[in-house]
Amino acid sequence: MHTAEITHLLRLEWQLDRRQKHVWGSMALYVVSTIYVCYHGVRHLTDVPIWNALFWIILLFAAFNALGRSFQREDAGRQLYLYTLASPRSVVLARTAYNALVMAALSLLSLAAYALFIGGTPMQAARLDIFVPVVVVGGVGFALVLTLLSALAARAGNGIGLMAILGFPIVLPMLLSLMKASKLALDGMGWNVTGKYVLWLVLIDLITVGLAWLLFPYLWRD
Amino acid sequence: MKGCWWKGLSVLLLLYVVFMGLHTPLGPALVHTSIDRIAPGPVTVEATGYNTHFAKESPQVWIENDGYRVCATAVTVNSDVVFSAQFTVPAGFHSNLTSLWAWDSVDGPVVLRDAFFTEGLGKDLQGEGCAVGTAERSGFSFPNRTILNETIRNLFFHVPMWFTMMVLMTIAFWQSLMVLRTGNLDKDQMALSAVDVSLLFAVLGLITGSIWARATWGDWWTSDPKLNGAAVSVLIYAAYLILRGSVPDPHKRARLAAIYNIFAYVLMMVFLMVLPRLTDSLHPGNGGNPAFSQYDLDSSLRAVFYPAVLGWILLGVWAYTLHLRAARLNSIADEANDR
Amino acid sequence: MKQMIVKGLMAVSAWAAWPVSIFAQSETPAWLQERMFASGKINTVVMVVGGVLIGIAIWMFALDRRIGKLEKRERK
Repeated sequence: MHTAEITHLLRLEWQLDRRQKHVWGSMALYVVSTIYVCYHGVRHLTDVPIWNALFWIILLFAAFNALGRSFQREDAGRQLYLYTLASPRSVVLARTAYNALVMAALSLLSLAAYALFIGGTPMQAARLDIFVPVVVVGGVGFALVLTLLSALAARAGNGIGLMAILGFPIVLPMLLSLMKASKLALDGMGWNVTGKYVLWLVLIDLITVGLAWLLFPYLWRD
Repeated sequence: MKGCWWKGLSVLLLLYVVFMGLHTPLGPALVHTSIDRIAPGPVTVEATGYNTHFAKESPQVWIENDGYRVCATAVTVNSDVVFSAQFTVPAGFHSNLTSLWAWDSVDGPVVLRDAFFTEGLGKDLQGEGCAVGTAERSGFSFPNRTILNETIRNLFFHVPMWFTMMVLMTIAFWQSLMVLRTGNLDKDQMALSAVDVSLLFAVLGLITGSIWARATWGDWWTSDPKLNGAAVSVLIYAAYLILRGSVPDPHKRARLAAIYNIFAYVLMMVFLMVLPRLTDSLHPGNGGNPAFSQYDLDSSLRAVFYPAVLGWILLGVWAYTLHLRAARLNSIADEANDR
Repeated sequence: MKQMIVKGLMAVSAWAAWPVSIFAQSETPAWLQERMFASGKINTVVMVVGGVLIGIAIWMFALDRRIGKLEKRERK
């Protein structure tokens, strides 16, 4: 594992994705159209718990959609190329970091679109300096957990369907504490109340990265 | 019968648990009063006990409010479990919740906590009030708690299910680590058998917990971190079985399943340890609820609970070895067929 | 064969419920009977223990069938 290798791989990811602009478009379109469908179902939401829950459900499915293709696009040739070029641990760390960045951007985009269509009334009393970090931590957390599972599902030769089944029970605890933390932030609670939830989420993220780092080499070799 | 001693031990322990768990009487307690509201002035209360012996020895009766006691002026015993008592309730109790106590040398002190809503509060009453008997009763019995009552016995048939499930999942986790280290297919079969049997105990835990929750909390399912944790572990291992089903190649299946098992197990454990501390729970010992250990003054619950845990775990491991042996025979027969 | 097993199970559960009926005895007034027993308090314990036994019995039958199939294959 070398930092230089990881940054190189990160740049490679970025260049590959920049060439395929439709990938970005499809992710953004998925989020926006989901929110738009919800908008037609509920119009403006002012009830804080429902507003909060709907947002996290939308973001969760956006994450499944965005990260499901994370290891799918690889064809066998490119995999072999990467395999000979870089160590598997660098590959997974680079891919995880890249996905985390993508999900951070996607969660902010979702929040903006959500506030635009479904209404930002619940955010008026909120501590935005806590709520927005919680949203970003949530998005990054989804990315970290789902990266390894996406690789696992891809290896099992089964697409997003299997990843959803594998990922849901693992993401569920995270989702529960995210909903709780963001609900508290929306209610205007300070760091002294929400702090322990954010800390716990960061802890989960660290453990997840550690596990991915440990387990990925076994997944990679064939 | 070499190597079988622990199977016999599990049967003996469970026999002991079934006998002691169902046969030990509940300790005496007061369970009901004819009125639930008192005000300053003369008051007559008829109280009902459970497993008490008032007819043997007339009890001393008093009410207690914030440490201040007022003894009954007259007590009439109707039967072993019913007495009526007369009080002169003073003005100036501190708290609006008053407990009813009775004491006799057979039953020791028995109490119905917060039996009365109290009117006429003040600050005047100081000290302890009248003197009362304190000698504890002797004899082996389970604590008799409000709401729980007889269902406290479920402690020996519900909680050990989760302990057993955890032990089996830990075995599966360990075997998964071995799969990654050695690539041995037999280790994979061991992990699969442990998961299969742990799901049996998870389902038993869910069913027994549901029945118990209905009788005490009034609902089959509550949103409680312990229940969420149980649901998550069942979902994780169901997903584990689905993952296995979708990979045809046995070596690849063993490796992928092991990776998922390790990943999921570690995160699940972290979740099960941390989340109950973050949120409120109806379960004892969480979110400000007292643990069972606080009810258990004479350790009578412990004397049955610990053997119950060990007995059920041994039974779970036994079931796991049976499952594994059948599965091994099956794979041997498969190989013979292929040849 | 199966009938015998079922009968044995029923005997075991009756035996397990017997001590319960001993101390759920007399002396308790009617309302208490309703409150403590008819309202499902002791019944809850019986249901929980019964649930565990039934669950384990079902699992045993499943294992029994697995081994039965193995024996059939062995004979072929």
